[in-house]
Amino acid sequence: MTSKISLSSISSFILLLAGFLLFWEWLRPLEEVTDTGNSHLFVIYTAICFLVSFFLRNGWVKFALKFIALLLILDYLFLAETLLSREWLQLIKTEVSYNLEIAWNNDWYLMTAFFRSLLFLLLLWLMSYLLHYWFTVANKFFIFVVLTIVYLAVLDTFTVYDAPLAMVRTFVISFVVLGLSRYVKLMDNNETNDKQSNLVTWMLPIVAIVLFAALLGIYSPKPTPQWPDPVPFIKSTAGHVGFGDGPVQKVGYGEDDSRLGGSFVQDDTTVFEAIVHDNVYWRIESKDVYTGKGWERSSELDYAPLENGEVQWRTFPLENTETTPYEAMVRPESTNELPKVVYPYGINRIESMQRETFYMDMASGMIEAESSEQSPNRSYSVQYDAPSFSLDELRNNSNNDPEDIKQRYLQLPEDLPERVSNLAAEVVEDEESRYDKAKAIESYFAQNGYTYQIEDVSVPDEGEDYVDQFLFETHVGYCDNFSTSMVVMLRSLDIPARWVKGFTGGAEVADQPPLPDGYSLYEVTNNNAHSWVEVFFPDTGWVPFEPTSGFTNPTDFYQDVTSDIDTGDSSEEENATEEETSEEEPELEDAEAEEEQEDNLIGDLENNDNWNGWLYFWISIIVVILILATVAFLKRNQIRDWYTLRKWHKLTQKLEIEPAYIYLLTLLEKRGYKRRKGQTLRQYAVEIDQQLRTTEMYDLTLAYEQYIYRNQEISEDKSKLRNLFQRVIDQILA
Amino acid sequence: MEYQNQVAKILQNIERVMIGKEQEVTLSLVALLADGHVLLEDVPGVGKTMMVRALSKSLDCEFKRIQFTPDLLPSDVTGVSIYNPKEMVFEFRSGPIFGDIVLADEINRTSPKTQSALLEAMEEMNVTVDGMTKSLNKPFFVMATQNPVDYEGTYPLPEAQLDRFLMKLSMGYPNEVDEFEMLNRTDRQHPIDEITPVIHKEQLIEMQKEVDSLYVDATVKRYIVQLVSATRTSNFVQLGVSPRGSIALMKAAKAYAYIQGRDYVIPDDVVMLAPYVMAHRIILRPEARYEGVTQEKLITQILDEIDVPVRKELHG
Repeated sequence: MTSKISLSSISSFILLLAGFLLFWEWLRPLEEVTDTGNSHLFVIYTAICFLVSFFLRNGWVKFALKFIALLLILDYLFLAETLLSREWLQLIKTEVSYNLEIAWNNDWYLMTAFFRSLLFLLLLWLMSYLLHYWFTVANKFFIFVVLTIVYLAVLDTFTVYDAPLAMVRTFVISFVVLGLSRYVKLMDNNETNDKQSNLVTWMLPIVAIVLFAALLGIYSPKPTPQWPDPVPFIKSTAGHVGFGDGPVQKVGYGEDDSRLGGSFVQDDTTVFEAIVHDNVYWRIESKDVYTGKGWERSSELDYAPLENGEVQWRTFPLENTETTPYEAMVRPESTNELPKVVYPYGINRIESMQRETFYMDMASGMIEAESSEQSPNRSYSVQYDAPSFSLDELRNNSNNDPEDIKQRYLQLPEDLPERVSNLAAEVVEDEESRYDKAKAIESYFAQNGYTYQIEDVSVPDEGEDYVDQFLFETHVGYCDNFSTSMVVMLRSLDIPARWVKGFTGGAEVADQPPLPDGYSLYEVTNNNAHSWVEVFFPDTGWVPFEPTSGFTNPTDFYQDVTSDIDTGDSSEEENATEEETSEEEPELEDAEAEEEQEDNLIGDLENNDNWNGWLYFWISIIVVILILATVAFLKRNQIRDWYTLRKWHKLTQKLEIEPAYIYLLTLLEKRGYKRRKGQTLRQYAVEIDQQLRTTEMYDLTLAYEQYIYRNQEISEDKSKLRNLFQRVIDQILA
Repeated sequence: MEYQNQVAKILQNIERVMIGKEQEVTLSLVALLADGHVLLEDVPGVGKTMMVRALSKSLDCEFKRIQFTPDLLPSDVTGVSIYNPKEMVFEFRSGPIFGDIVLADEINRTSPKTQSALLEAMEEMNVTVDGMTKSLNKPFFVMATQNPVDYEGTYPLPEAQLDRFLMKLSMGYPNEVDEFEMLNRTDRQHPIDEITPVIHKEQLIEMQKEVDSLYVDATVKRYIVQLVSATRTSNFVQLGVSPRGSIALMKAAKAYAYIQGRDYVIPDDVVMLAPYVMAHRIILRPEARYEGVTQEKLITQILDEIDVPVRKELHG
């Protein structure tokens, strides 16, 4: 007997020791991964907790010892005053009350080191209690082993902590101990006298195998990871994703446009906030080479520093265009690593708060901030001259494009299907001026049932053209489809055009800071990533167009009224009115579309919010249901017994023998004692009594027989009968 | 239930003679109390006669034996009127059937004519000789035997006749222990000679009346009906149990319940008796034999299939 006790206590001590060693593996990375100092003290405290839990039985003593150890460690670390002196107590009181207040106000970052240590020590206390329970009471070591391995693997993968050694230690400790705990379990069910020698014969091969496996594991060659390093992968999935290669992507700004198409999921991560006059389109860059699948640059990026932030680059000549000077403030979201500068049309100067230098590629118009500095505040201000284009002037533009413009911006892939250019020609059939042609194509999509959607957008297959697919087959798509199609159609008509990327104006933030008249704070998210079209006019420069259904060009176009009056020519007037009407109709439509779009946007946003809310709601409901179901499953026997007893008590209140007895029969049947069809009650009762080691079932059955086969009320004493029933039920539930 | 407690005494008495045959003895008593008759199908020498004699001695009944032979005439069973020249009248000389307990030995050896004379008497409880109807004794209990081995020159009982027996039993050989005990007891003097009556004939008649008055609940009656009709619908059966069989089963069950000391019948009684009461009333199809199905197996199967009533009959 003594040997048994000593063996089981030795084995549980070993279990606990192993648990402590494994838990130590949890604490080891703390110094490296977090800014925890003095982690040896925490280890010591854990050891104290484990030892106290193991050696002491009295709960209060355990509590007291652990608490004292906690105080001592805190005293050693933080409290200069004499232990338990008045000042000491006062200090603790101040610390605790201060930190509790902070916690109450959710200002967690203000929490002092003292209080954090206190909380951490409490956590260790709880953990040691939990582990003690797992190992010595529940004898469940394996869960913790798995958790430890997962923990180490995660730390090794995502942090600087290097876990191979820890892994090896964990492996050796846990498998030896798993073997031991298995032995203990087996011995619990097995009465053997010679446990000590059995233990040796049991443990020796286990230790040998584990050590051998560990050595083999350490020295054997390991294949390189079969999966890509998850860190960049996960980051790229979670962060802003460009118009990348997968069939489903997150919406947002990306650099690679060589293969367009595919569906998007919404992503309302904020990219930047901007204070700007009116809603503007934020330009980033343009691309000029259409490959049939997407857009590329004709030349490599060639950044040149912007002296004093002066931007010489123009999309339109200042002298010919009416402009209004404005200033915009852009604050990129620090978490969002958008390295590009966004700017409104007409930019002439850019200035960084951090005195950063900006570099610009003149071909695409892309500006980047000096990327070496990782400052949290990368805000910059942009001064720009917002252009207003005169419709008359646009219409009266010549067609004399400079040679270099023709060279670059009339490019089309050789295998562009003919029907694309045919369609373009057809659309602009009745139009004279370049502007009207562009306008016709711009409005062609919305008028001909091309719909905007981001889901189920196809990617062109090999040999298929992106534009052709959109124009003639799918008829659905998002901004890239519309803008690319417009550019390609214009180019097929020998009108120079280019594809522009950036962001739409975003949404006005609900609570605005005090700003000058006309200025607002906008929030631009990944959902606002957009692409549109710039068409070249020899006299006016690059003019933005917005072909995408549901979007509105924020650029200002104006009708030169004075010229109409000046000429006084009826035909001109007619023309003008015609123009006006022809101009206004799309405008109206645009306005309506805009409204719709806005509604949609708002609706979408609300829906989005709602949807998120509902999602969380349902997820939490499902989680709750799952938890309840698990609990119900685990406790099913108790629940059943409880239900049984409840029903039983109801029956015994009245003591109608038939329902009670029939209930007993169904109960027995549920418990696996099924009565065969032809089995008489007596035979069954005898069988049940044998199996339950009772005699009451037979007596009950005799009483019931009298009732049912003799058609007689129960002659027996009711309380006696009730006792019989109760005993059988007890025996069944036992 | 004045005489119910006498049952145990009777059984004890008989068991002094019949060693290890409690079941058969009990069943015989069941048949007697139910006012029925027993067909014993067994090889000679297993104690058929001894049991009947012990029974009759215990009950203080007149025991008669008829050894059926091929040349036995009906009048040899029933009796005959003989002219008395002195008195100038025909005088009725009663045959062996005018006993209280009659052992009809090897009943299948005699001609059908004689057989039917016996069976008619069993059914009608009277005999008609020369235009005179004579009532049989009361109680009247026939235990007929037939030898299953010897088929040469036998006249197997027709099915209709078999139906008249309440139950068919077979004794079987005793096991070694019982047989050894039997030898011990018969060493000096046969124990049958020591048996003294436990009750009187009149009391037996009272007991029969008491059996008749036992309560059979509707649930049990329905159970019997279900069992019986199941024999009629079985695929293996050419002729199922007749309504007479249902009545027989109920009566037997009453008697068995009486012996068990109850005044009501429970399904256990029915289950216990069903093979003995029903087996000889079933005629199987020829193919059943090929399938290895016997009457007993069929009844066991039916008993397994029919649900024993465990709830009160729902009226209305």
